This record gives sequence, structure tokens and C-alpha cells, in this order.
Amino acid sequence: MGKIMLEVNNLKTKYVTRFNESVYAVDNVSLRLEEGESMGIAGESGCGKSTLALSLMGYYFAPLHHIEGSIIVEGKDITKMTPDQVRKTVLGTEISYIPQAAMNALNPTQKIIRFIENVIHAHDPGMPKNRIYEMARDRFEVLNLPEEVLEKYPVELSGGMKQRTVIAISTILSPKVLIADEPSSALDVSSQKMVIKMMRELMKNGFIKSMIFITHELPLLYNVTDDIMVMYAGQIVEKGTAKEMVFDPLHPYSKGLMGSIIVPEAGTRDAKLTAIPGTPPNLKNPPAGCRFAQRCKYAHAACKVQSIEEVRLKDGRMYRCILDQNELKEGKK
Amino acid sequence: MKYQLQLVFKSQKFVTGFVIFAAVFLLILFYPLLVTKNPLEMTGGLFYKPGTYVSVTDAVDTQSYKINKDVVTGKLTKSVTAEEQQLMRDWLLNYCPEVKPEEVSDAKKAYDIIELWLQYYDKTVEMEGATKAVKNQYVRLYDKVENILESEGYIVSRKNAETGEMEEVAAIETKEFVNVKDIPNRVTFPLGTDNFGRDVLTELVAATRTSLKIGLLAGTVATAIGLTLGLLAGYVGGMIDNVITFITNMFTVIPSFIILILIASGLGQAGRGAMLVAVVIGFTSWPWTCRSVRAQTISLRNRDHVNLSKLSGHSLPRIVLTDILPYVASYVVMAYILQIASGILSEAQLSMIGLGPSTNKVATLGLMMNWAMQFQAPLSGAWWAFIPVVLSIAMISFSLNLMNTGLDQVFNPQLRE
Amino acid sequence: MKGYLKYFSNKTAWYLLTLVVAVILNFLLPRLTPGNPVATIASKAVAGMTDANAIQKVYEDYTRMFGLDKSMPEQFLLYISNLFKGDLGVSFSYFPREVSDLIGSAIGWTVALQLPAILVGWFLGNLLGAVAAYIKGPVDKVVFPVFLFISNVPAFGMAIIILFVFGIYLKWFPSSGGYGFDLIPALNMKFILSVIRHYQMPFWSIVLTTIGGQAIGMRSMSIYELNADYVKYSRFLGIKDKVIVKYVFRNAMLPQITGLVLSLGTMVGGALVAEMIFSYPGLGTRILNAVTGQDFPVISGCTLIITVGVLLANLILEILYGLIDPRIKTAQQE
Repeated sequence: MGKIMLEVNNLKTKYVTRFNESVYAVDNVSLRLEEGESMGIAGESGCGKSTLALSLMGYYFAPLHHIEGSIIVEGKDITKMTPDQVRKTVLGTEISYIPQAAMNALNPTQKIIRFIENVIHAHDPGMPKNRIYEMARDRFEVLNLPEEVLEKYPVELSGGMKQRTVIAISTILSPKVLIADEPSSALDVSSQKMVIKMMRELMKNGFIKSMIFITHELPLLYNVTDDIMVMYAGQIVEKGTAKEMVFDPLHPYSKGLMGSIIVPEAGTRDAKLTAIPGTPPNLKNPPAGCRFAQRCKYAHAACKVQSIEEVRLKDGRMYRCILDQNELKEGKK
Repeated sequence: MKYQLQLVFKSQKFVTGFVIFAAVFLLILFYPLLVTKNPLEMTGGLFYKPGTYVSVTDAVDTQSYKINKDVVTGKLTKSVTAEEQQLMRDWLLNYCPEVKPEEVSDAKKAYDIIELWLQYYDKTVEMEGATKAVKNQYVRLYDKVENILESEGYIVSRKNAETGEMEEVAAIETKEFVNVKDIPNRVTFPLGTDNFGRDVLTELVAATRTSLKIGLLAGTVATAIGLTLGLLAGYVGGMIDNVITFITNMFTVIPSFIILILIASGLGQAGRGAMLVAVVIGFTSWPWTCRSVRAQTISLRNRDHVNLSKLSGHSLPRIVLTDILPYVASYVVMAYILQIASGILSEAQLSMIGLGPSTNKVATLGLMMNWAMQFQAPLSGAWWAFIPVVLSIAMISFSLNLMNTGLDQVFNPQLRE
Repeated sequence: MKGYLKYFSNKTAWYLLTLVVAVILNFLLPRLTPGNPVATIASKAVAGMTDANAIQKVYEDYTRMFGLDKSMPEQFLLYISNLFKGDLGVSFSYFPREVSDLIGSAIGWTVALQLPAILVGWFLGNLLGAVAAYIKGPVDKVVFPVFLFISNVPAFGMAIIILFVFGIYLKWFPSSGGYGFDLIPALNMKFILSVIRHYQMPFWSIVLTTIGGQAIGMRSMSIYELNADYVKYSRFLGIKDKVIVKYVFRNAMLPQITGLVLSLGTMVGGALVAEMIFSYPGLGTRILNAVTGQDFPVISGCTLIITVGVLLANLILEILYGLIDPRIKTAQQE
């Protein structure tokens, strides 16, 4: 077992809308990430994946607010730190982030190298600019990015190049945890492939120690990550290894989610492609019982009232359902 | 449509603007029903202060009452000027060792300082270093104050038509008062009078009305031209678009105020009716509307429903009217609102330099400003002749702009905070 | 570099063409309006004159200038050739002074007043708009609506209120003219001080009117930029808010330069009227006097000069914008 990079316990956060309503987008999420591990988080859009990504950074500003729970990095709970401490000592160096839309992630009127200078100076104000340049150049070289990019403005880069530049900038300080929020969803297939390759290289070179990869494209996760967590309505409903999750999902929602995709493996040709009927609940007033109950074909009367606890299995697998493992397996046909 | 209206009225900004505008509108609608006099009638004299005026002869003829009130204090305070009070202070400080400086500085009110000075002043005191003129000044001041104090009242007399001698008609004592309600001839100027002796409030209401009409007409002309050109350029595209865009850009950078000056000065004093000025303003301010309509139309041009219409063989006017116009309608309304505001402003600016509507049958907000400036209202301290006008323009423009911002927030989700 | 060159030459050509159109308009508009003012005004101009030589001279100048006996195209050619000689005709009211001389003595005052005032107002307005968008809270809630209202006070209204309050009521500043009426322009301390004192009220009234409108535009631009993805990304990389605000300010301010280009004409128009209120010895007051005295050659000359000035200022602004904003360069290379 590797060293623990990130430990999250019972994290709860909320959004406050401009009408002063609270949306509980991350509810009681716990996870643990070891050195060398990459974890995928999957779910429909609107399930809270992106909010979880932001919440994991430990740096909260309106409209996102921390309610409770801890995020432990290097033995320290970063939710107890002041925002400025988090900014200075955690962001970029311990936990870093790749945003969903790299298209607009870079300040359009600033050369790439100037931005890198800003990023590094935010943590190490004294570093001379020529050293920063050398550092950036070396890192870009390892990641197969042309050096000229440094002296260019974001508008001068293509979409794929921009995304790879963003990845390089996010990891320039070699963070322990990288949180990638759909880094490839806006790209064409060949750029996607390059991004995935790059993420693997980052891991291999030790530029990042662990990674959380968020996406709605499950096949991608199967190829990229070791473990997969499925998120629904702000909660983790199931967790397991990538293989287990794709070929043997337990939770009815995971089944639905896996059923709505095609995995290029033997046997899938025969499986039917199904969609999950209905829409996720409104998180302003989450339902009392199981959040999936309304859309679940196995739902009991009790599901809608009784609060549902996580069930942890011996091999590290977890799911959140009223039914036991065998009942769930039988339900699968 | 109903839903959109509901949304619009939920916007705080729009509602605030709408309420202000509605208030102005109701005022100009109902005020003339209550006050029926001609707004340009000259009732008073040059720059009378706001207030109620009573006829002086009526006041003499009206039955009077003795009221036990200290009239002298008020009279003294009113007739001894600030400079004279300063003279008194100087005397007390320089030539009167009996009075301590604190006493002088403590006497803040006019009456206190006059009382203190009267108590100590002595004509015979030697004023060292003072010129004779200064000494005489003090003597005169003392006599003036004494006069006010001692005045027993006035005798009203009339010249006898036959003998030419003065005959006493009535005696007015100091403490005599008449009830204001008993005086038959009273005039109230809530905002005073202007340089022609017109009642500013009545004139202002009439001017606001004309200016709004000018704004509406100018806005309509500008919107009609801008909308037509914008739709044409945006939808047809190609060469037509290039030409229209070129002209539009040109007229955005050439100051429209300059074109207005050229046309208005060309029309000559006699040729400029209020409505003609409005049309000319409309003709110089369409580029804004044209730009925004064109941009909107271009973004709509290739939408599915428009393509469908094209494939169905609908005519160009029909596609523009049924498939494009309804979608740009909200922007057109917003632009129209701004055009009204800028039309009112343009008229005012033009009138300020003497190129506004030349008719003397109506007043506009700009003409009122022009008159106030020509007759040096600021120098005369007649704030009532121009500040209400400026505030009216600002209020109307503010309310229209608020409505526009409110609409913008409803129809442009990106601006929502 | 090639991109820049293309951009600059395109812009310059466009503005030159606009200038040509403006000159044609300046020639045509007064001549096409009914009642040919040129003829009527010329006869009016000599009405008050008693000196027979002067009347003769005005008529001669007038015929030479407008070429009344010639056709429109010929008149236009004459107009253009006179323009190139810097000859704008002779004033009716200030006979026998040349229009170019009258404008020359006024233009310096106008440029020295309006250029700094509009720039300062533009900058302060942008600063205020950015602060309102960024801090929200008290600045946005209280100061902002106040500026929203102020932006709706017309330029001449602001001028007249400032004149009344600070010039006449409080007597802090002299209320009219560009320098003390008892002084002769010279480079001495007394004159310069007097100019500075006379400068204050017109300057601040233009600044105040400019601030409001700019602040509103900048505020919505900044709100838009603050919600941009790069702001969130920069924050999550640990960049200080202070640095991010600089990005936002810069990015929101760049489109404001274009905004300035589009509204400069309106601003100058308002500022000219503000000049009149303070009897400032610039072009605004010249136009006012010319209109009052029906001094047509002066009106026409002033409008031409102002148009040229505004177009020139806009061209400079657009070139500056092209240099500052990298997006322009890329757009040109495509």
C-alpha cells in the first residue's frame, strides 16, 4: 500500500444562488487516494462532479461554501487553514487543477510565460525570471510541447495545444494530487488521445503523484484510471476498481450508467444499450431517502423514507443501497 | 410573451425606471388639467423667487389684526446685512475694550450681535487709525438700526386728484398682521418665474411634454431607419451588408452633434419647427440601432427555423417579418428606449447653442435652458430657472436607462450577477 | 509585424475615406437645406455694417469663397482648393478676421481642456466600474447608483450646476473665461495661475459627466470578465486575487478603448456645450457666438475642425488598441 496522498472525510459543501438558496451539491463524500493511484469520478452532468472537483481544492469562495468534513494533505487538514494559507501552500504545489474548458482557461491578453511566472511567484515570490523560463522550457520539452508556445498568446494556440499547455502549467510545480475536470471532453478524438497520453506521462515521470479524473465518458475512465467512483446527486453511490465497475456494477444507478455506454470489450456487442429514465433530483431540497429512488426500478417503499448508509465490502468496494450485495447481483440480468 | 413581461417586471431596475417614468408621464398628463393657464403667459417679472406672492395694496385694504409678536427682531435680522454685522464685530473687537472677544464670537445670531453693538456703541469714542469715511459708516449704521427700532409703523396716503395733496388713508402699526387667506389677489410660483416672468413649474411641465414628444419622434425615426438598414444588412449580407456597415461605421465616428449643427444652422431660424428638429435628430442617430440589429440578425440568419422558412420558399419580407423580427424585438425595444433618451438630450444640446426649435409657441427643456443661460440666471442666483430643468432631463434619461438596463438583464442572461 | 502593418494601413485608409465623406457633408448639408442660408446670411452679415469698403469686401470674399455664380461641382472644387490653402473664409461677425485665425486661437484651449478631461474621466470611470464589479458590497450598492444618475445628467447640466455651486454660490473659482479678464496672455506666474483656476470647473464637469457612463460600461464588462474561466483557473493555481484583478481590469479595459472610439463624438459634443456654459475661450464658445451672430463661415469651419479632430483622435486610439491587444494581431494574421 502506497503513501496516502489525499484523504477526504465526510466532505459537505454547498452553492448559494443569487436568490440566497442553498444547493447541497457535495454531500458526505469520503475518499482516499494513494501514491501512484488514479481515480475516476463518473456521473451524469449535474450530478455534482465538477463541484466535487472544486470542493476538493479546499479553497472556497462565493458561491461555493464549505459546510463540514476534512481534507487531509500531508497530515494537515486544509479546511482548517486560512484561505491565504491554502492559496500559498496547497494550491498548485499539493493539489492542482485542470479546468473543464481549457479554451478560455488562459488570460487572453497574457503571454504563456508571463502566466507561468505569475503562478510560480504566487508560491515562491523570489524566483528569478530566467530560472522560471528554464524550468518551464525543460518541463515543456519533456512533455513534447514546443518551446515557442511560451512566448505566445493563448489566442495563437490551437484547441489541443491550449489544453496541453494548461495541463503543463497546472503541473509545473509537481503537485501531489492533480484534479482533472473533464480535461478532454471538448477536444477531437486525436487531441483527446494526446491529452490522455500526456496524463500518463506525467504520472510516469513523477510530475504528479496521484490523480483524480472526472468525466462523463466512462470508456475513457476504464482506460485511464485504476478505480472508479460513481456520483449521483452529490453523493458517491458506488466505488470499485475500474474493471469491477464496468463489468460488474452493483448499484442500480451504476448499472444504468454502464448500460448507457459501449465498452470495446468482448461480449458488449450482445449487451443492450439502455438509458436511465427521469432526471436527477433538485439539490435545493434533496429527497429524504435514497436520492435515486424515484428513478430506480428496484425501489422499495422504504427507499424513499429511510436514509441509506454506505455498505463497505472487504476488497475496498463500496456502494450505497438498501439492498445487499447478492440481491443486487440477482437484479442484474 | 406573458412570461417575459412577468420576468421584466421582476427586475428591480426596470420597475424603478418604469415608476419614475410613469410618474413624469402622469404629471404631464394631469397637471394641465388642474392648471389651465397658458404655460408661456407672462405673469410675473424677471426671476422671481419661488413662493407665494400677495398683492401689497390688497394687504393694506384687508382687515388687520394686532398680534403680539416681536416684529423688530425679524426686521432687524433681515435688514442688517452680513457685511454690516461684520462691521459691528470689527468695532467691538477693535475699539471696545469692555467687551471680551469671546462675547463677540459667542454672538452667533444676527440679533445677538446687533444687540451687543447697540449696547456699547458710542459715537464719541475715539477710533484710532480709522479714516473719516469709516467713522461715518458707523454713524450711518447706528442711525439705520435706530430707525428700524423706532419705526412706529407707516402711514398710507393717497394723492388727492383735485388738490394734488397727500391724504392719509390708513395707518399701519408695527404689530399689525393680515390673514393671508383674506387677501383676494395671490399668485403662487412653486418654482419661481423665469426671465420672461413665466411660472417655471407650468412652463416646465409643458416643456417636458414637448421634449418627450421630440424624443419619441426622434426615437421612432431613428429606430425605423436603424431597424430597416440593420435587418437588410444582417439578413441579405454580401455587398448590401458591406455598404450599409461602411456607412454606419462612418456615421458612428463622425460626431452626430456636428451634423446636427450643420443641418440646423442651414435650416435657419424660421425653418426650425419642434417636430422638424425631432426628425432631423432621428436622421442623425440611427447608426446605434442599425449596429445592434445587424449583429442580432446575423446571429439569427442561419438558425434552423430561418433555414426551414427559406426552404419552404417564403419571400424575403415574410422571412424577415415572421422569422427574424420577433427575435430581435427585445433589442429593438431597448434601442428605442435609448434613442428616446438621446433624442431629448440632443434637442437640449442643440437648443443650448441656439439651434433648437425656434418657435415661441412652445417651450422645450432645451429652450428653457437656453433662455436661462442667455439671461444669466446662474449669475442672478436664480437656480430655480435651470436646476429643475436639468433634473427633469436627468430624471427622464435616468428612468429610461434604468428600464433599458432592466430589460437587458432579462434578455441577456450573461449580464445577470 | 506584417499583421500590424496591414491593420494600421487598413485603419488609416478607412479614416481617410471617412474624412472625405465628412468634408463633402460639411460642404453639402448647409447648401442643400431649403432657403439657401449662404445667400441669406451673407446679406444679413452686411446689414449692420456702415463702412462701404467693408461691405464691398464681405461681398467680394463671399463670392470668392462660395462662388455663387458657379455650379455646385465647381463650387465644391473651389471649396476644396481653398481648404488645401488653409483658407476657411472670412468671419462675418469679426470682420475682417480670417476664420482660420479665429479657430486657431480657440482650438488650443479646447484640446487642452477636453483631451485631459475625457482621458481622466475615462480612466476614473473604468477604475470605479471595476471596483464596483469586484468589491460589490457598499461601493456597488451606494456609489454606483449615484454614478448611474450622474451619467444621466447631461454635460451642460453638470456644467451649469458646477458653475452655480462652486462659481457663484461658494465663489471658489472664477465663473467664466479661460483666464482673468484683466490679464494679457503671457508666460508669467500670474497668468498661469489664473489659467489653472479658470480650468478647474470646466475640467471637472467634463470629467464627472464622463465618469458615469464609463463606470457603467466597465462594471458590466468586469462582471463578465470576473466570471470568465481564466479567473477561476488562475485562482485555483494559487495566484493572488490582486494579480487576478489586474488581469480582469486589463481585459475589461481593452474593449472600453473601442467604446471610447464609438462614443468620442458624443462626448466631444457634450463637452463643447460645457465650454459654452463657462464661456471658455475654446471652439464651443466660438460656435455659440457664431450661431448667435449667424456667422456662417465660422460655424462651418468649426464643424470641420472638430470632425477632423475627432477622427484623428479615433485613429490614434484604434492604432494604440491594435498595439496593446494581442487579439487584434492574431485576427489580422488569419
